[in-house]
Amino acid sequence: MTTGVLMYCFDTPELNYHSLAERCVEQIRKYLKLEITIVTNLETFKKFKPLGMINYMLVENSITNTRPYRGKSVAWYNKERALAYEHSPYDTTILMDCDYFVFSSTLLELANTKFDMMLHDRVHDLTGKDMIMGKDESTLPLVWATVTLFNKNERTKAIFAMIRHVQEYYPHYRNLYRIRYLNYRNDYAFAIALHQLNLGNRIPTPMTMLADSVDVIDSDEDGIIFKHADNVMFTSGQDVHVMDKGWCNG
Amino acid sequence: MDIGNIKKHSDLNFEVAQAKKNALEKMRSRQLMAYNERLFMADAHTISLVSTLKLHNKDFYVLDVNDNPCHVEDPNDFLNKLIERNQETLNSYQQLHQDLAKKSK
Repeated sequence: MTTGVLMYCFDTPELNYHSLAERCVEQIRKYLKLEITIVTNLETFKKFKPLGMINYMLVENSITNTRPYRGKSVAWYNKERALAYEHSPYDTTILMDCDYFVFSSTLLELANTKFDMMLHDRVHDLTGKDMIMGKDESTLPLVWATVTLFNKNERTKAIFAMIRHVQEYYPHYRNLYRIRYLNYRNDYAFAIALHQLNLGNRIPTPMTMLADSVDVIDSDEDGIIFKHADNVMFTSGQDVHVMDKGWCNG
Repeated sequence: MDIGNIKKHSDLNFEVAQAKKNALEKMRSRQLMAYNERLFMADAHTISLVSTLKLHNKDFYVLDVNDNPCHVEDPNDFLNKLIERNQETLNSYQQLHQDLAKKSK
């Protein structure tokens, strides 16, 4: 049985995701010590600094999606994640966004259990301002696709087939579940697929997050220091999803 | 006390309360523990349950956090691991709690 981390990383005209991925790789090596596969495109691949043993998979990604980021609409290349089942070379995969930073071995504990697919359904906003979860955004029990653990079997194969179907007919499913946002979000596609197939386990603790309006001002191997509305706080030994996409660019 | 001073106290108390909430979330997340391919929280509830069942049976079944049954064949081993993880996380929380107590003095 093999276990590894799978990441998707595509630079956009506005944001350098490869810098986030480079930092993410350092953290995975320190705390999870697992093999890593990065799915990327040729343009982004050329920008990566040498990272040692990494499996790269080069694809031509879809460039049709956008997202709001700090008051602007920016490009968002997120549709390839629906192919994670085919792209993953592992029996047990930790599918992770490159802006999720591990500072503990918690994901290893989760990976060492029996499950089909496991993801977060709750978040914890480190600032205490509850800026992440909106109200009445859909009629769906939301999950977060940021960190998705899955084992390869017929059930998870069906989940990913359903995710691809949802992606293809997203306007229909968006209407069906009264999703407020017009753009395609993996969180919703995963949530719809799990809802339709009545599958998937939830990670029992919430995902620790920092909203995109929070600035990360410093970090080391153990945690990060962040600033919001003149309050400076820090994390230590706690995995965190950072939505400030520029912090690794120096 | 002037309003500026009250605001300062309020800000400090908010910061301390939030740091405590974050530390508790960290503690809970570190209490997640895999055992026999099942997932458990190494919290007071699980420790009490295993400790009680151990007094009555040599082996037994318990439900994990996703309500899946787990056959515990070596209760002593399981209990030791739960206590070890629980105390490890509480020690770390206690250190932060002390720091916060100093800060709010």
